[in-house]
Amino acid sequence: MTVALEVRNLRAGYAGREILKGVSFQVEADDFFAIIGPSGAGKSTLIRCVNRLVEPTGGQVLFHGVDLLSLDQARLREARRNIGMIFQEFNLIERLSVMDNVLTGRLGYTGTLRSLMRMFTAEDISQALALLDRVGLGEYVDKRADRLSGGQRQRVGIARALIQNPRLLLVDEPTSSLDPKISREVMALIREIAREFHVPVLCNIHDVELATEFCTHVIGLQDGVKKFEGRPGELDAQALQEIYSMEVL
Amino acid sequence: MKGRAVDIRAAAIAAGRRRGRALRLLAYLAIFGAVLWSVQVIMIADTDWARLAASSAGKTLKSFLEFDYRLLPELVDPTIDTALMATLATLAGLLLALPVAWLGAANISPLGRSSYVVGRFLMTVSRSVHEIVWGLIFVSAVGLGALAGVLAMGVRSVGFISKIIAEAIEDVQPGPIEAIRAVGGTRLQVLFYGILPQIVPVVLGTMIFEWDINIRRSTIMGLVGAGGLGLVFFRQMAMLNYGGVATVILAVLCLIILGEIVSYYARKAVI
Amino acid sequence: MRAKPSFEPGALIAEGAEGERTAFAHGAAAAHGTPARIPAGWHRFRFPQSLYRYAALLATLAFIAFAIDRLNIDLERLPGVLGRIAVTLGQRYFPPNIEHVTHFDYLHSVLETMEMSYLATVLGIALAIPLAWLASFNQTPSPRIGYTLARLFIMACRSVHEMIWTILLVAVLGFGMLPGTLALMLFCIGFAGKLFTEAIEAIRPGPVEAIRATGGNRAQVFVFAVLPQVRVAWTGISIYTWDVVFRAATVVGFFGAGGMGWYLRESVQRIASHDVAAILLSIIIVVVAAELFSAWLRRHVAAAIA
Repeated sequence: MTVALEVRNLRAGYAGREILKGVSFQVEADDFFAIIGPSGAGKSTLIRCVNRLVEPTGGQVLFHGVDLLSLDQARLREARRNIGMIFQEFNLIERLSVMDNVLTGRLGYTGTLRSLMRMFTAEDISQALALLDRVGLGEYVDKRADRLSGGQRQRVGIARALIQNPRLLLVDEPTSSLDPKISREVMALIREIAREFHVPVLCNIHDVELATEFCTHVIGLQDGVKKFEGRPGELDAQALQEIYSMEVL
Repeated sequence: MKGRAVDIRAAAIAAGRRRGRALRLLAYLAIFGAVLWSVQVIMIADTDWARLAASSAGKTLKSFLEFDYRLLPELVDPTIDTALMATLATLAGLLLALPVAWLGAANISPLGRSSYVVGRFLMTVSRSVHEIVWGLIFVSAVGLGALAGVLAMGVRSVGFISKIIAEAIEDVQPGPIEAIRAVGGTRLQVLFYGILPQIVPVVLGTMIFEWDINIRRSTIMGLVGAGGLGLVFFRQMAMLNYGGVATVILAVLCLIILGEIVSYYARKAVI
Repeated sequence: MRAKPSFEPGALIAEGAEGERTAFAHGAAAAHGTPARIPAGWHRFRFPQSLYRYAALLATLAFIAFAIDRLNIDLERLPGVLGRIAVTLGQRYFPPNIEHVTHFDYLHSVLETMEMSYLATVLGIALAIPLAWLASFNQTPSPRIGYTLARLFIMACRSVHEMIWTILLVAVLGFGMLPGTLALMLFCIGFAGKLFTEAIEAIRPGPVEAIRATGGNRAQVFVFAVLPQVRVAWTGISIYTWDVVFRAATVVGFFGAGGMGWYLRESVQRIASHDVAAILLSIIIVVVAAELFSAWLRRHVAAAIA
């Protein structure tokens, strides 16, 4: 198995407050990692440190052997286009059409001038169309993003991440803006697609039940420290107690 | 087979996007064409570049940058005058704006539709006429001096203040008004107990905003002999002492920065 | 009940935070008691609070008196000012000499005014967009130098009255439409720049994050995440800015910068009151027309691109 992502002793914080206090783990080619933990544990910061939407203060993030923390802005953008990201609030551009939203996933591959004119290649458009068909939104190509329901928006978000041809998917609380039934559908879709495209996934999720059902590995985070790592089956009451002790107290 | 169907749809979408781009380009070209025309009229037909090049424009510009610091001590009093004028003008504007807002608020306008139209008309006239023009009108009525300046700025402020107040009145909660009507309150009592308390924050915020603008305006009121920094500005201009002019403008900037600081804290105190 | 906050600087000091707090505590203590009937000595405002209210009122009146005295304002001229305006307008300015404003040269100056306002607005907005980008705390690519300089520049443009800009530029460039257009452009940068900046600062950060995560560069973030969110607001602001610039453009000529204002100055200097009246009337008409047009355009464009 090849190691897609290796995080070593990752630290982050701002204004003198430490949010991540040295977290390490490895994600291999077909892994589906769930990061669970109480709110404020640093889950969201951890995910954003991987593609440096939040700048870490120390440690290493090795993406296929390259330390992302050592890259300059231009190289970082090149690395980012290989890392797809799916967001809690979908973060679609609401005034643009579904097609334009998916095409923004190709920005890293499109020259600045061409992108200012919204000129994307024919291959990009047909790939976007194929992906929209795949996530079940083939009929909604010309709809504006803000006319869609929450579940549909998240599917657009998934298509946008996939059109990057990512070698890693970062997923930040994909279901907390959705109702339970849609949540399961979205998680199932992410899992299917990850298998289909052979992309490893690193997913924040506060819902332990969904995490154990859909993921292959679980990391328990509490107060910036890794408290648990293992298979979903190993996540017993005692482990949960340890991860969520702060909330229980 | 399926791949081909996707490609055909993609080609149709790409064609649509090209059409959209062409239309956008056309719109930009229209805007740009109008710009070119204006440039031709303003910068080519109307401007004599040869004369400008031969003139002392560069030297004039340079003399603006030679600040006349000797003027500074003489600017203290006019600066205070300018601040006072702006404040008086804002208060006068408020005084005049309240009845106009009363007329122009759709929900309480005393004679219904007809007085509403009158109120809105007064607001439009106040805003449409530039303060220079108001200044000229008031000079002919009260003569040169600070009064003409204060009145001109006050009347010019009415439009904005009364529009905001009228909108605030239209947005008040109907509950308190109903309550006062229910206990048998008169129209005036409704105004004072039901509406006024609700719009006080809006009124104060608007006044602070307008005060800021009136400081800027008061610099131009030197034209109607209204004293303050504006008068010094026009005097220095007449003396062709450009360094002095620049110093006056610096004083205006300082006053406005000070005003911005004061209004920042005043706004915080109000909200 | 708290004392109404008042704007007067003096009043602000009088109603300092501490005073308000004690007044508030006082009221709260009274509310906790259970007065079955109105106490004999009840007043709407209890001792410290009533003092502040009277002090604030007194301070305001004293301030007004002081200001009027200091500025040598002769209040005796104030009564009947409306009557005098009516008399002046009726006797000196009426009837307006309509022929003066239907003359071809004058109508041409109306067109010139429009051209000046159009070019000034387009150029001003073209410059205001990058400045607003630099001056917005959430999107600025240069948080120290660029941000500070852009803020300062926008503020300087706003702080100096458009007529002062006109006078200065006429002094440098001589009479003509060019100094007027440049003055209006500076005014436009100050006016639109501030509103543009505020619109950028109000965007949702999520889409920005999403575009950055796909590997987009700054320009792409601006075009795909910022622009779609501010487009409607900016369009409305731009149209409104044109309206305000046009209003100023009608009078920049008064200081030698071309357009309708030039004729206003000329007839004021000739003391040709009937011509002045006609010009003022025509200015009011075109300004109101511009305002109606801008309101109509804003409504329709907003509906079209919303």
